[in-house]
Amino acid sequence: MLELRQLDAAIGNVTILRNVGFMLAEGDTVALIGRNGAGKTTLLRSIMGFTDVTGSIRFAGQEMTSLAPAHRPGLGIGYAPEDRRLFSAFTVEENLKLPVQVAGLGAAEQAQRLERVYHILPELREMAARPAGNVSGGQGKMVALGRALMLGTRLIMLDEPFQGLAPALARRYAEALRTLRDTDQNVALFITESNPALLRSLADRTLVIERGEVTENLLEPEGQGSDRADSTR
Amino acid sequence: MNFSLFLLAVFDGIAYAALVFMVALGLTLIFGVLRILNVAHGSLYAIGAYVTASVGAAIFAAGFAPFLAFPLMLIAAALIGVVLGGPIEYLLLRRIYHRPEVLQLLVTFAVFMILEDVQRQIWGTQPYFEATALQLLGNVQVLGVYYTVYQLIFLPLVALTVLIGLRLFLRRALAGKLIMAVTEDREAAQAIGINADRVFFLTFVVGAALAALGGALASPTTSVLPGIGADMIVLSFAVVATAGLGQIEGAAVAALLIGLGRSFAVYLMPELQVLVPYLIMLSVLLIRPEGLFGRPGARKI
Ligand SMILES: Nc1ncnc2c1ncn2[C@@H]1O[C@H](COP(=O)(O)OP(=O)(O)OP(=O)(O)O)[C@@H](O)[C@H]1O
Ligand SMILES: [Mg+2]
Repeated sequence: MLELRQLDAAIGNVTILRNVGFMLAEGDTVALIGRNGAGKTTLLRSIMGFTDVTGSIRFAGQEMTSLAPAHRPGLGIGYAPEDRRLFSAFTVEENLKLPVQVAGLGAAEQAQRLERVYHILPELREMAARPAGNVSGGQGKMVALGRALMLGTRLIMLDEPFQGLAPALARRYAEALRTLRDTDQNVALFITESNPALLRSLADRTLVIERGEVTENLLEPEGQGSDRADSTR
Repeated sequence: MNFSLFLLAVFDGIAYAALVFMVALGLTLIFGVLRILNVAHGSLYAIGAYVTASVGAAIFAAGFAPFLAFPLMLIAAALIGVVLGGPIEYLLLRRIYHRPEVLQLLVTFAVFMILEDVQRQIWGTQPYFEATALQLLGNVQVLGVYYTVYQLIFLPLVALTVLIGLRLFLRRALAGKLIMAVTEDREAAQAIGINADRVFFLTFVVGAALAALGGALASPTTSVLPGIGADMIVLSFAVVATAGLGQIEGAAVAALLIGLGRSFAVYLMPELQVLVPYLIMLSVLLIRPEGLFGRPGARKI
């Protein structure tokens, strides 16, 4: 469903990703593990269209590299960037609704998507009317996940979702991802993390990125995290 | 300064502030969203005034009803926003968003110079004066002082309506929300499917129309002649800088401050009239470089 082939990505004149190739099938939950600066964020941003790339990114049978960034989310891609990146002047619910309003979905479909998000993340319902600029960092991560769910019917990409979450909230976040998986077996999840331990119970495959090169990790994820535990900021 | 002179100075200041505000609002909106200081804004103001005055003169000479002066202003402003503002953004500015600010400034300055020449070609150098709208609304007496209803009530009312209307548009309309979203975080906005190019275009057209509307509204109160665009761009820049770049409500306060400062200078120290707005701007910026209402680093409108 998502297939990258021989992808190089540059920011400015600096090549950051080199010869990246992998596939995500429908319903996959894939972790992308790499230390700080390895290129995790750049890879997700490249899929969203924010870097200069050569090579191929195919999504749902379509070549995406020539598609403008604004046209990609509508194909069914939800993306929660590294920092929460909420629109602070709007309420939490306005933040959730904006993507489907932009996509021009019908009112019934919009309401249904919002209900799905509130089902997976019931805590957002209580925050619905609060300005997004006033929610806490952890709550903001939940809102960002909710916003990604609104358009993410085929692929949801989360960039270091657990970073900066207190342990209780991290557990809650992981639980929400499990609820999502229970309600939707078809959506693909692509999650980056610098600490592989956090994703062990969620991912059914792990990719490793190092200095812009991605390799499929065929080993059990055990033991990988120990020497990199210091890399969580 | 006796009381009626004082009142006159206040009224002059308010009327002038309302006009400057409209132009400054367009300038600050464009800056807030596109991060470009649009010098050509002054030309759009001047062309708004020229079109309204010349077309007004023509249609009233042809016997059309005087009240048409008001819809004419709106139509002129909207047309100039689309017909002039549209291509400026689409053909020029779009190519230079990622270029250094100096280059952006030079490009909009070049557009300003070109449009100045275009005005001379079309309207020549003789002044135009068309005051039907002003005469239509008559005068009002306030505490012994006579003043035109157009300047004392109509202009401030329009300015206030535009201010509240723009705020509601940004806050409630989907198009307005898209503008707010792109302003705060362009990449995050695109990542939820917002077409930032289209939002920039829309913003520039709205901002350009505001400049033209300022010119249209000013035309009954003054002679329209070469140079008014240059005067207005410098003055509205002073307002925008005093308020803080991108500050919408702040621009209203700064326009009042500068409008009143200027009109009191006219009565008390006429030789300083031109200087006072910049003195106000300078003294504000010396104390608060980000402007009265600006927050350093904030990307908001
Ligand atoms: N805007 C930029 N300009 C130049 N280089 C950049 C830019 N953004 C990232 N880089 C470089 O690209 C490389 C990969 O960065 P990236 O943000 O993708 O890493 P990451 O794996 O997400 O790291 P982290 O765990 O810290 O989030 C780094 O060497 C970084 O310095
Ligand atoms: Mg990163």
